[in-house]
Amino acid sequence: MVLSMQKSFERFYLKKMNNIELRTENEPDVSSTDETSLLVIIIDTNPTQKLLRDKASQLTTVVDSVIAFANSHLMQKAQNKLAIMACHSKTSQFVYPGPRKPVDVRQVDGQYEIFLQVEKTVKQNLSLLLASENSTIATESLLAGAIAMALCYIARIQRTKSAGIKLNSRILIVSGSGDSASQYMNYMNVFFTAQKQNVVLDVCTLDQHLSLLQQGCDITNGLYLKVPQVSALLQFLLWVFLPEPPIREKLVLPPPVKVDYRAACFCHRELIDIGYVCSVCLSIFCKFSPICTTCHTVFKIPGPLAVKSKKKKMKL
Amino acid sequence: MSTSSEDVLLQVPSVRYKKGDGSLFLMDERLIWMVENRDTVAVSHPYADIKSQKISPEGKAKVQLQVVLHNSVSSTFHFTNKNGLQAQLADRDRVKDMLQTLLPKFKRKVDKELEEKNKLLSENPMLLQLYKDLVITEVVSSEEFWSQHAQQYTQKRKQQPQEIGVSGAFLADIKPQTDGCNGLKYNITPDIIECIFKTYPAVKKKYIENVPAKLSEAQFWTKFFQSHYFHRDRKYAENKDLFTECGKIDDQELKRDIQAGVKDPLVNLTEFEDKTLEEGYGGSIEKPPSNISTVSQAMIKRFNQHSIMVLKATKNKVNDNATDNAQSGSESSKITDEPVNKKQKILEKITYDDLEGEDVTKNGTVHLNLSKVERYLHGPMPDTAAEHINPNEASHIMRNVLQEVRQWQIRPHVPNHNLVPPSAATQALGDLSPGGALMRGFQEQSLAQLVPPHIEQEVRNLYLVLCELLGHFWKCFPPTAVTAEQKLVKMNEALQRFQTVKLKPFEDKLIRELTPLSQHLTKHLNQLLNAAYQKYNNWQKIKSR
Repeated sequence: MVLSMQKSFERFYLKKMNNIELRTENEPDVSSTDETSLLVIIIDTNPTQKLLRDKASQLTTVVDSVIAFANSHLMQKAQNKLAIMACHSKTSQFVYPGPRKPVDVRQVDGQYEIFLQVEKTVKQNLSLLLASENSTIATESLLAGAIAMALCYIARIQRTKSAGIKLNSRILIVSGSGDSASQYMNYMNVFFTAQKQNVVLDVCTLDQHLSLLQQGCDITNGLYLKVPQVSALLQFLLWVFLPEPPIREKLVLPPPVKVDYRAACFCHRELIDIGYVCSVCLSIFCKFSPICTTCHTVFKIPGPLAVKSKKKKMKL
Repeated sequence: MSTSSEDVLLQVPSVRYKKGDGSLFLMDERLIWMVENRDTVAVSHPYADIKSQKISPEGKAKVQLQVVLHNSVSSTFHFTNKNGLQAQLADRDRVKDMLQTLLPKFKRKVDKELEEKNKLLSENPMLLQLYKDLVITEVVSSEEFWSQHAQQYTQKRKQQPQEIGVSGAFLADIKPQTDGCNGLKYNITPDIIECIFKTYPAVKKKYIENVPAKLSEAQFWTKFFQSHYFHRDRKYAENKDLFTECGKIDDQELKRDIQAGVKDPLVNLTEFEDKTLEEGYGGSIEKPPSNISTVSQAMIKRFNQHSIMVLKATKNKVNDNATDNAQSGSESSKITDEPVNKKQKILEKITYDDLEGEDVTKNGTVHLNLSKVERYLHGPMPDTAAEHINPNEASHIMRNVLQEVRQWQIRPHVPNHNLVPPSAATQALGDLSPGGALMRGFQEQSLAQLVPPHIEQEVRNLYLVLCELLGHFWKCFPPTAVTAEQKLVKMNEALQRFQTVKLKPFEDKLIRELTPLSQHLTKHLNQLLNAAYQKYNNWQKIKSR
């Protein structure tokens, strides 16, 4: 591709030489074509989402919006790359580019072939995934696992890209599930990996407030948005998440909300502002206890009790 | 102010001031002029106020003397002695000379203080700002400012300056100048004299003995430079000199030093030998010829001695301090110290950190026995019971979803399919525009951009001043002594003055210039002030009970 580009530039220059003047010094601005942007979209398709329980057709609205959004991303620049994942209760899968051979498409209605390909592939793979789901036991969505897969995919693309091309990657999560405490460690791991890999995490939540994912956005400099109405999802996506992170600084976007980084105590699992931290094992407690219940370290009792014991000694 | 308590140093009659005849008096501390035959003092200038005096040039008809004060007011006195011009001139000169000797005494005192303060202010922009805001606006009086608020700065200046060492080449640095007729002129400054005394205590002793009783200072130094002592390396001798004795003392000192040797155990001075490598890198066995002229030997000896003296001059100072601080260190401990020092020094030289083993850290580790490890994995999440959906419902949802997806796939491609209904789109547009539901907090964020730099600077200065005042205010609590109570009252007054003189005008200005921000910027400042007032009022209430 680079070669062909060079050729076209040469031709361009020849033309110019013939017509007007020689401008050899002026290098063509290739920086814009060298920078590509990889967007990985993770759609939560878990049927237990409140959203889908209320109205199953919401799923198609969401997916249609995401496809339109993904096509807009591809339209922004010819070099832009795209991947779409479906995150389910037991598995996460890539729906675009799918595991099988790409669907053959021919131009319909003058639509750009790739757009149609995205649409068809996503629809096909998604219905296959949903049809394969046969258990009736509802579990939560494995979002952390899906992010990990996305990070792996990004790392692979990053490795196999040709030299001299800069790849900006980001992950967009579109979900209507709630927070899950059981995936906490997995979440933290993927967040810090993403931060380390310079991958931006964007979260678009459709239903509930996701405090954990909000932390992930905060540390990777991504955006967090709770969509007030799902019917206008596409507009929110295009408005907030379509611009790339460097451009976002220059736009007037919803300001970041204060992220709640409070810790939960180990004893009652309640968020606390001030608590006691065991100096040995770093367990957090909301009340003082003389013996740490995690590592069984014995602490001295502070304050008035110590004074009393001293007095006793003095009397003796 | 009665003149009786003062001494009259000089009285000059028939002096005219502003067309009135009278006499001029030079007193202990001031210059006064009295109208003829009257007791009232018409003009009185303390010497401290006088900046300079001027006299009329020679040959002028009027013989005058002008005194210029620090506040640039001047008074002119006209000498009108009846005995003619000569007498007038003599009168004037007497006054002038007297003033000349008197003025510097007073001048220095005032100027030094002023200069010091000026220097302090110019060196510390923070302090200057405080001074501008506190003293010039009369929130705090000048004396109070210097005694309390600038304390740390003035104290810093009082710290003992670092002792300046002696340059090894200080004698060579005195460049003698030839005066044209076979003589040399040495310019020595007090610094150089100090250096000489430091390095050659013997000379100092001589100086104390002889100056000024037997010799003048200049003579002494002339002798010193001429002396045999100074030119000792040159072998011409002039017996019976002031400094021959010095030479002897120094020689003894040198001998003692050589015997004492060098304390550093890693240096073996006595083993030094002037060996040279022969051609072919063999050591030359033969001793170097011993017929080096005694002149150059003396020269080398003198250089060595000079170096020793210079080194000692700095060492003495350190030792003085050490002994001052801890006199308990007895002789015996010193002796035992030495081998320890030696051992320590050798250890220092032969140990390398990176060759040290790590066995120290390996021992002493304690294993952690943790129970209920899973608690670490929960994360900051309140324990929410997972939503339970019974299998029936779940399968129902599944069916619905599947059906939806199937329909979705079969559905033919509709070009005009409406993904976002217009009403929802407008709603979203409203939400995302500034002022919309999702854009809350946007205004506050841009506060920093809305404040122009000069206002920002002013706010900064206000904070600086207020923090300074509040710092002193809160320091008074709890007020245990009477002085603390007095200071507290004073600080409270200062705070109130600050609010009326600085804060209020600033707020008014804000209302005029930056209406939307007027309350925002000074809100915190007012909070700080109110907290202080409240504390003060509470204290007053408790006190009055």
